[in-house]
Amino acid sequence: MENRNFHQTFFLTRFSLKRDWLKLTIWSGLLVVLFGAVAAKFTTIYDSQASINEIVKTLKSPSMVSLFGKLPGSGPYNTADVFAGEMTVFMAIIAAVMNFSIIIKNTRGEEDSGLLEIIQSHSVGKLSNLSASLIELFIINLLIGLLYGVGLQVADLAGTDTNGNFLLGLGLGAAGFMYAAIAAFLAQLVDNSRSVTIWSYVILGLMYIARMTTDVSHPKATWYVPFGWVEKFSTYQDNNWTPVFLMLGLSLILSVAALWINNHRDIGSGIIATKPGRAKATIFLRGPLSLFWRLHRTTIIVWVIGLLVLGFTYGSIFNTIGDILKTNPAMKQLVGTAAVHKANVLIIKQFVALLMIVFGVLALFPGMQIINYLKTGENKGYLELIHSKPVSRTYLFTSVLILGSLTSLIALLAGMWGLQLGGASVMKHPIELSVFLRGFYAYISPVMIMLGISAFIIGWIPKISVIGYLYAGFALFVEYFGKLIDLPKWISKLTPFGYINKVPVHQLDIETLWWQLALAAILIILGYIGYHIRDLNSAN
Amino acid sequence: MMAQENNAILHIDHLQKRFGKFQALKNVTFDVYPGEIFGFIGPNGAGKSTTIRTLLGILRASGGTATLFGKDVYKDSVSIHKKLAYVPGDVYLWPNLTGGEIIGLFLKLGNTKHSAKTDEMIKRFQLDTTKKARTYSKGNRQKVALVAAFSTDADFYIFDEPTSGLDPLNEEIFQKSVLELKQAGKAVLLSSHILSEVEKMCDRIGIIRDGEIVETGSLSDMRHLTRTVIQFQTMEPTTELKGLDGVHNIVLGSNGLTTFSVDSDQMSSVMDYLSSKKIVSLQSTPPTLEDLFMRYYNSNEGR
Repeated sequence: MENRNFHQTFFLTRFSLKRDWLKLTIWSGLLVVLFGAVAAKFTTIYDSQASINEIVKTLKSPSMVSLFGKLPGSGPYNTADVFAGEMTVFMAIIAAVMNFSIIIKNTRGEEDSGLLEIIQSHSVGKLSNLSASLIELFIINLLIGLLYGVGLQVADLAGTDTNGNFLLGLGLGAAGFMYAAIAAFLAQLVDNSRSVTIWSYVILGLMYIARMTTDVSHPKATWYVPFGWVEKFSTYQDNNWTPVFLMLGLSLILSVAALWINNHRDIGSGIIATKPGRAKATIFLRGPLSLFWRLHRTTIIVWVIGLLVLGFTYGSIFNTIGDILKTNPAMKQLVGTAAVHKANVLIIKQFVALLMIVFGVLALFPGMQIINYLKTGENKGYLELIHSKPVSRTYLFTSVLILGSLTSLIALLAGMWGLQLGGASVMKHPIELSVFLRGFYAYISPVMIMLGISAFIIGWIPKISVIGYLYAGFALFVEYFGKLIDLPKWISKLTPFGYINKVPVHQLDIETLWWQLALAAILIILGYIGYHIRDLNSAN
Repeated sequence: MMAQENNAILHIDHLQKRFGKFQALKNVTFDVYPGEIFGFIGPNGAGKSTTIRTLLGILRASGGTATLFGKDVYKDSVSIHKKLAYVPGDVYLWPNLTGGEIIGLFLKLGNTKHSAKTDEMIKRFQLDTTKKARTYSKGNRQKVALVAAFSTDADFYIFDEPTSGLDPLNEEIFQKSVLELKQAGKAVLLSSHILSEVEKMCDRIGIIRDGEIVETGSLSDMRHLTRTVIQFQTMEPTTELKGLDGVHNIVLGSNGLTTFSVDSDQMSSVMDYLSSKKIVSLQSTPPTLEDLFMRYYNSNEGR
């Protein structure tokens, strides 16, 4: 007898694949091309042993270990080792973003929108939708993993072997599926898709921080962090498949748990139930600004605290990074204590300069999300009643703009403050806050341009509002990775971040600040005009 | 008539709206006066909601004019909305706010406050305001918007299919509340598919089809424009009936009764013919709104 709980699962899987084909094609195309292109590029950048030794020295420094993971094994290293060392952690993060977005939309998202209810009313098993979503993502991650492997075979980096190519490829695929399973599990616990997204990223963030901390102090302990398993492939060195099975095992456990909970709960509910609330609005909830604050409160708090914690964690490895004597003990005799301290501080500043883009882009996301609410809220029909009240469009636009900009800037500030606090907690002579604030001041203008772009899009073509996020992701990739993969300089000039001085190593450049703020202002004004004259959308 | 046009609260003249190539509104023209309930009916996709959203300044008209209280609905939307209340057909509420919080917010946005009237409306509709909106059914979400609208002191009320999720008891409460507004001299624009509701409540009706107002007037005005159903029996056979102008849908009943419908303007000539055949029994049924509606909804007729 067939199991009624899973009735029509494969039909739904086919249906999901058909419905999502464009999204899936774009994601996998993007990932595979990115991966393959970087691999192909590596053969030209790191063609000599000298250049490889140079980059290996950089990658072995604690700051790089904290960002990209620990380079496995021992030398002599070759191009393939460098590639695996630089790309593994980064690709795992992108895989998490992709899997979160797809599975949350297809499970809890469908439930929120009521689509699942329509599907369930047909001859479909109770668990079919969840299992179909999991199967869909398993297929797509497997495919991406295989394509990674094939891509590496084709790129044929010096020092690769077939076993390692497919280990890295399929391992990253397994990592992707593990994130899908994590989100699918969380989707059973809370009762709306936004909370699932927040929780998924909180867990990803915690795992990232955990692996960073263990990588710089006790690399063995990274085995306890699922995020860190990708580093333990030891690709092209030991080619260890154990982590792949660990990830698949964890995915299986989480999937079964998710299915079990799904089977034991009502549609639309979570384990954590919704409590009754106030019978009347508080004095505080009185207009668009307070409404938008109320709606985004959790998101804002999570991001600000998240960046504070991330900053603190990076700051707490300053003593390891800024310890030049560790790598060069003779230095003290040569230049004296004061000079050593100065050199240490410079290394830390350089490390922070590299980190700035991470904080800048992460701080952008909640701000953009708030500005884009004028579109999401419109499409979901939430704003239709607001539009019928004596509230001008200018006022609405101003409200999201103020809240969005403040959120981004405060999140950025929280990151900088976290760095200082983290540093102060481990260093004998902590770096003053003013040094980090230099970074904050310099990043105000590019952040405002990016938010200005979102405001402009919301004003004129809200349909493509996702471009803001993509552009921010592009900026992160270019600034963070650009130097390692030797991208041409002009590419960095394609985003406003590329014009910023290397802060806090250098001082803030006033001229850049002014022209960028002027550009941001122009974009925002244009956005106002567009929002004032365009039709507003409705839910149907 | 001129005098009346001057005191119209809502005045729409040749309103047009185009979305890209699609002409959603071709020619919408009607007025709504104080103390009047205006029924706005038409098939799905005819342009009812588009018209309403244009009146709210959410959409920008491509042509024609629409004024509320004598002000342009797009340019002066903010000052117009101070005296306007609106309930959409599909009410979407922020899932993590309670009904009470949302009602309070809507009232404050309209520069009023939670009042005794609000409490009365909450009681009337029996709404639990402590529940989060995500737990509300469609009808309960509509109640939230209705409570907020009815406790607003506006001069013009727009209801876009407001009772589609309400049970009959609440539907009656809705009707009662709307009639109270009328008695207080307010103007109401009521878009609805529930024809009995429109027939019972509305003073005048506008029918929209394919983005055009095809008919406006009171129900009795409109009856002249449509057909009356006649059921009769005569002594002599009425073979020529089929050929007469304005006669449609002849059905011969098994009980010897014949039923047909006749255009109102051909009524007297048809009656003359029938009486010449010696009438035994005759029964006429005036057209209901439903007949009118069907006639305009059926795209093959009524053009």
